[in-house]
Amino acid sequence: MNRLLRSKNLILTIGLTIFGIVLVVTLNPDGYLRVLLNLLTFAGIYGLSAIGLNVHFGWTGLLNFGHASFMGVGAYVTLLLIPHAAGREGDITTTGLPLFVAIIIGVISAALFGLLLGLPAIRLRGDYLAIVTIAAAEIFRLLVRDLENITGGVYGIISYSQNLQQYRPGFVTNLATKFDIAPSQTWVCLIAWISIVLVLFLLKRLNNSPWGRALRAVREDEDAVRAMGKNAVWLKLQSFMLGAGIAGLSGVLLAFNYGSLETTVFIPLLTFYVWAIMILGGVGSLVGPIFGSIIFWVIISETDRIAYIFFENANGQQLAGVRFLLVGFLIMILMIFRPSGLLGKKEELLLDVK
Amino acid sequence: MLDQLGNGLLLGTIISVASVALSLLYGVTKIVNFAHGEIIALGAIATLFFSSPIDYRIEFLGFIPPLGLSFAISCFLAVLTCGIFGGILELFLFRPLRKNNVGNIAVLVVTIGLSIFVRHLYLLFATGKVQNFPLELQRRQTYLFFDMTPRNLNVLIAGVIVMLLVGFFLTYTRIGKAMRAVRDSEDLSSISGINSDNIILMTWVSSSMLAGLAGIFQATINDVRWNMGFLILLLIFAGTVLGGIGTSFGAMVGGFLIGIFVQVSVGLPFMEGHTEAKNAIALAIMIIILLFRPQGIFGQKERIS
Repeated sequence: MNRLLRSKNLILTIGLTIFGIVLVVTLNPDGYLRVLLNLLTFAGIYGLSAIGLNVHFGWTGLLNFGHASFMGVGAYVTLLLIPHAAGREGDITTTGLPLFVAIIIGVISAALFGLLLGLPAIRLRGDYLAIVTIAAAEIFRLLVRDLENITGGVYGIISYSQNLQQYRPGFVTNLATKFDIAPSQTWVCLIAWISIVLVLFLLKRLNNSPWGRALRAVREDEDAVRAMGKNAVWLKLQSFMLGAGIAGLSGVLLAFNYGSLETTVFIPLLTFYVWAIMILGGVGSLVGPIFGSIIFWVIISETDRIAYIFFENANGQQLAGVRFLLVGFLIMILMIFRPSGLLGKKEELLLDVK
Repeated sequence: MLDQLGNGLLLGTIISVASVALSLLYGVTKIVNFAHGEIIALGAIATLFFSSPIDYRIEFLGFIPPLGLSFAISCFLAVLTCGIFGGILELFLFRPLRKNNVGNIAVLVVTIGLSIFVRHLYLLFATGKVQNFPLELQRRQTYLFFDMTPRNLNVLIAGVIVMLLVGFFLTYTRIGKAMRAVRDSEDLSSISGINSDNIILMTWVSSSMLAGLAGIFQATINDVRWNMGFLILLLIFAGTVLGGIGTSFGAMVGGFLIGIFVQVSVGLPFMEGHTEAKNAIALAIMIIILLFRPQGIFGQKERIS
């Protein structure tokens, strides 16, 4: 019965995703490919980030509200290692490392930052951890903004996109020009979705391994894990590092999608976006965040229409206002009426303070 | 460094009043309220709305003419508005959640959603412009060894009086005692004939009124912004945690300490040219406190985990 219910949920979710995409196509009769590409790129990047958050919250039950800082560490470390220009009039500087190595160092840095942030998790229970992680993310953002001669401060980092685009294979360019869409974004989109497939494959293996079972046991009953001779603290830290590394990778992709990187990208709202996606997709579900992300971005990309209903000639502020209004509402409603999201298992959901 | 002490005391007053409110609510309901900042902003926005004279250049709620009430009455009405808002939140959102045994973490996520929702309602209906209360400009004067305007001195005094009143209210009145009883054990207080639902409602109302007052203080000292509550929320958490979450006296002291620390740190030698990072120091203090003394300065150990 349970199995039947799960497959019913999956069919419903896939149906909803397809419906969302069809909706976007019908609402944007001309140039729907460009809208779809933009949507799928953001969905891929945020979905990847949500998969990382799911390792923290869904698997291990760690209440992480500093996810934006993991994405930020990955993005900044990677960009600072490859040719880039910082600040308004910065010159191109580089360390000469190849892009691939820089990304790996960026991801490892994000994981190490996760280890650092995970240390309080040893001592603190759920709600305190939420406060600590959101505060640490803000410290990170304020420091990055303040280190103006390295990170460009409020002016950000620019002139780095070419590092990724020079590896763009010919068929991507041909395909993009054939369908009249931006080749650079097509390449980022492709990498994002390839990363998702690889990460999901890795997580699937981990999830079924003894390590994955021990991790879920930490969420259910930490004392029992200790009694079995497992090191619960180290398991939590490993989970923090794994999730943070995945988030770091998505941060790198986000930076390459934007073309210029400013500290305002990593405000707490980014974390809340990822939370909304994770809850929508299903806490603890492996593929849930992907569908959650696509549906979320379908909603986001069409909210401007709602804004124009209420405000004639809506300005940018009103458009953003309506969009975030909807995000807040979505988080509230989902958490109250369907905390397990589209594909989550209710019995696996940790919602009480340990 | 000493010239920043006046600013520190003022920021301390804001954080202190808001921390007491947050701590009271956490103590009684165990809710970490991320929407606390939005109630603070409501206090300031409502005051501006009530007090703006007819000919004042008001950007808020453009389709309703400003009411032009006197500033004192506006403050009173704004605090009342916040109280009603808090009561509505409890009656229509948090009480049903509690009755359905929704876990603490789910409620925490709900308050985050609520915070985003309400904050952007302000952005839509109160615009993103930075505005000031319709009060005349004042010159700074020297009191003892710190500088501030006479109005800000009044804010400081009002803040101290309010906190003394809160302390008196919690220690000596029947409702205050009942709140502390529910905080210590909801089951035991129910057995003793305390209607815990009513007490929690009262806590929401009084916590929201205090938060609204903190918002009025903040807007008097600085200005009114749609996201003013969220900007100061983490400092309020820092103040609450430093003093000991769930304690009232601790939150008062912790709030003042954080406020003074943030402002005085601007004068430190290595902070020269890095004033933007001053909030980072307060947050770092909070994390260190949580690591080494999670119950805060005045908290009791058994309240933690």
